[in-house]
Formats: sequence, C-alpha cells, structure tokens
Amino acid sequence: MTRLSKLPPGMRYYLGAEARLRRLVEDTAMSVFEGWSYEEVLTPSVDYYALFEQGMGQTEAQTAFRFTDSDGEMLSLRPDVTSSVARVAATLLADRERPLRLCYAAPVFRRQQQSHAEWRRESTQLGCELIGVSGEAADLEVLLVAAEILKSIGLEHSFCITINDVGIFNGLLNELNIGPQSQEALRRLIDTRDRGELKTFLERNCDNTSTREALFKLAELTGNQNVLAEARSVINNEDSVAALDKLGRLWEVIESLGLDSSFEIDLADVSSLDYYTGLSFKVFVRGIGYRVGRGGRYDGLTSNFGSSEPAVGFVLSLDSLVEVLGQGTFINGRTPEEPRSIEPGELPETFRSAVRERSKNQRIRIEPTS
Amino acid sequence: MITIAVSKGRMQDDALALLAKAGVRLSPASLESRKLALPDESGEYQFIFVKPADVPVYVEHGIADCGIVGRDVLLESEVDVLLPLDLGIARCRIVVASLDPTVIARSFGMLRIATKYVRIAAEYFGARGIPVEIIPLSGSVELAPALGLADAIVDLVETGRTLSENGLSIVEVIRDSTGLLVVNRASYQLKSAEVTRLTSALSCAIEGAPAA
Repeated sequence: MTRLSKLPPGMRYYLGAEARLRRLVEDTAMSVFEGWSYEEVLTPSVDYYALFEQGMGQTEAQTAFRFTDSDGEMLSLRPDVTSSVARVAATLLADRERPLRLCYAAPVFRRQQQSHAEWRRESTQLGCELIGVSGEAADLEVLLVAAEILKSIGLEHSFCITINDVGIFNGLLNELNIGPQSQEALRRLIDTRDRGELKTFLERNCDNTSTREALFKLAELTGNQNVLAEARSVINNEDSVAALDKLGRLWEVIESLGLDSSFEIDLADVSSLDYYTGLSFKVFVRGIGYRVGRGGRYDGLTSNFGSSEPAVGFVLSLDSLVEVLGQGTFINGRTPEEPRSIEPGELPETFRSAVRERSKNQRIRIEPTS
Repeated sequence: MITIAVSKGRMQDDALALLAKAGVRLSPASLESRKLALPDESGEYQFIFVKPADVPVYVEHGIADCGIVGRDVLLESEVDVLLPLDLGIARCRIVVASLDPTVIARSFGMLRIATKYVRIAAEYFGARGIPVEIIPLSGSVELAPALGLADAIVDLVETGRTLSENGLSIVEVIRDSTGLLVVNRASYQLKSAEVTRLTSALSCAIEGAPAA
C-alpha cells in the first residue's frame, strides 16, 4: 500500500478552502481578461514535442514530460500554453482580424523543476497573448492587465512588476566581438549581478573602455526612472538608446497612472534573451521568494508557422498566487453557506424534498441513515 | 526588516567583523544566547546562523532575504540567487591536490577524484575532457589519496597546511573562492531600498578596510 499511497514528486492535492480560493482567483483573473476583451482559448494538454521545441527553445522544452505516440511521433504533456496559442493564431485564426486577444487558465507540466524553490511539476498558468500589434500601446495594455489582476485579488500593495527591454543589453552585446558561449556567460553574470566575476570577465573580453563601463554598470541599474538617466550616461549605441527611450515612454504612462510604486525598472534582468524581442517583465509578490509570473514581447514566435507577427503576453502562476493568498493576510475563498439537512427516510420522500430545495438553489446535505 | 543567513564556521567571524564595520552589530549578549534568529542592535536586521550549504537554500526560498556564503558553496549548489557583492572575506582556493604532482599529466584512463565538491569537480574535469570517477565524501577528504581511495582530491584550501600534513601538494588551482553577499531575487525587488542600504554600507566597509 505504501507505494500506492504516495504522490510523484512535485505533485499535490488542493482541498477545501484552498481549492475554493484557487477557483476564486482563477475566476477573478478570467473576468479581468474578459474585461479587456480577451477571449478564452483551450488548447490540448498533449501535443507534439516539436511544437514546444520550436516555441520555447530546446533547453526549456527539454524540461517537459515526453513520450511516444503509437506512430512513433514524440508527444509531450504541454510545458507551456503560449506555443500552441501561437500556432492557433498562425493557422486556424490566420484570417481573423488583428489584433487577436487570447487568454487561458491551464495546467502545464514539467518533468524537471524550474528551480529548487519552485518545487511543483504541475502548475496552472493564467495567461494572455496580444497578437498582431507592436508598439508601446500593446506593451502597456498587457502590463496593466497583469497589474489589474494582482490588484483585484487583493495584492495591490504587495506586488512589484520589474520591466526591461532586451534591446538595451543586445545593443551592448553588438559592441563586443564574442562568441555565443561567452555571450551566455556574460548574460548570466549580469543577470545574477555577479559584479566580482563580471569585472574579471570584462577585463578579459572587452577592450573598449566605454562598453566595459556600460556593461559593468548595467548589473546595478535597478530602480525608478533615474536608472534610465544613469544608463544614458554610459550607453550610446543606437539600438540600446532606442530601447531606453521606449522604456522611458512606458514609465511615463505608468507614473501618470500612479502605478510607479508597483513597478520597477530592472536593466539587469537579462534572463531570457533567446525568447523575448523587446519588453520583458517579471512579477514578484511579497511572501514568495521567486517570481510568480513573467511576460514580454516575442515578435519571432509565430514565425515558426510561416507568418511572422508581433506578439506580447504574460503568464501568472495560479499556484503561487494561491500560496500567497492562503497565508491568510489577504482574501479568503468564498465560504459556503450552511447546508440544509435532508433527514433520511423513505427514498422517494427524501429525494422529493432534496430536489425541491435544490430547485430553490438551497444548499443541502443528505444525512446518512443511522 | 531584512533577514540575513550567515554561514557558520570559518566564514562567521569574518562576516560579523565586516558587518560591524558597516554599522550592523549584534550585541554580545544575543550572540551568546542560543536563539536561532538574532536581531541586530538597530532592529533593522535579523540574523540566522546555518551550515554553509544551507545558506543558499534559505535565500533561494526567500526565508532569508540575504546571505553570506562562500563561492565554493554557490558553485556546488547551483542555486538561483543574485550575488551583487564580493565581500573579499575568508579567501581561499579550490584546488586539485594529490600525492603525485604529475597525476593529471600521467593519467590516461580514469582518474579517481575524492571530493565534497562533486559538481565543481565534474564540471572542471568534464570541460577538459579528462575522464574521472568522482567519489563523494563528506569530510576528511585529505585522507583519501593516502588510503588508496582516490588518485587526487578536489578541496578547499586556505593555508595548505592540512594538505602538506597529509603528504599532498597542489596540482592545479581550479579557482579562488571568497565570501559573497547573496540576495533573494524577490527581496532584491520588493525590499530594494533596504537591500541597497545594506550593500552600500558593506561596499564602504570593504573599501575602507586596510589591505589584509
């Protein structure tokens, strides 16, 4: 029996109050999506592995559960939803008017945990994609949708969304003449703010003093709009400056909406370069030591299916949000009303009264025969 | 309030001395108490003292916002934390040591390596294409070559005295290791003002320190 009673690592149950809270959070998020005209899309739980390899990149896709179909094709339990949303946008919805606004609440599965702290191997993603428009209006729209969801589940004063534009780092990377392996090493050093090692790396790999200074500085550029001014004082290549300007315009709107206390600019957040093509952002919530969501612009995504169009979106982890909210300081799931007891008796009579009460939408509980 | 996890053992005294120089002090009374979590004198910080390998665990989960731990431990645990400041304390080296200084040059088949640093050793020899059998040990690694368990060891060396007492000499230096300030990714954003205050105070303390 012991073997049958245990759960595989990274899997769990949700029961009672926690399950109700979970449903409430999911419903709240979905109604916010609906409020911004996002249409729900349900995609298959099982799909071709090749889809995720294309959609997420090889390294990420390898974290998926894989198995073979009866015809030998490699299948996978979906490790993300975005890949198949991109496919449906490029195929089934190819002729639909743009922009497309799609959203979902769906479980994703990973064979390998994403980090030591993210223990789960099944987690539910609340996400949306805005496909077919580029520019700051689209970027702002998804940022504000994310902020509204966090606000409406009671996390208004507890979240921080950090924003960056990958163009800033990429512009600086172009000033250097280093191979992909060194680029990855450099990305990692800046992302982990490892300034000790970064200094040594730059002394070895970067002859240009101004590029060296800019990259070293990047590792500590986190904060409000002052960060952009500091960045401008050390960065002067065209691509990076254009990306800084874009970020500046986003920040102006965020500030004018009075949301600047919930946002932060983080130029050292260079964790997902091969995926995002412009804006990238992460969501943190007090009470959880790792990010509860992430998003950004991935204009290359649908090009895998022959039609390249701009896209921006994000995911929030329902499980992480429920974990924070369940700590009790925020909202509680709906507590159900006391049920009316239906006393046991003759079967026809018992169920006649049960059906009668239910037709009035009364919550009932059929008591056991003693 | 910010919680700081500090490695117990050789890192602890250096870390506390540097923190004191940065204006973060633990009262002698609280240091002597047996409590697990100790507040500093200002009440702005709370300290927990844990085994070195557990520091990154507490920080990655966000139970501690910051930690003070050696790079050797970080490399071995491959955790996802930020490392904004090299504190320059508890300086030592991660080395390959053996009874025979030419052990790597003379090996062709398989080298047996005893170590506490399984991941660092595998990475180091793997990158050079040298086939190794890694024998994980949890302590007294220096004994392994003399007793015939391994051809060489990968270990942390401060003065090298323990090595020479066991007849070992350094074959290659893998890298330097010093104590670092590590920060949880979420705390770095959500408590940015507090974290920045701590890192700047520590930077000043490091720069103001006379060369050791």
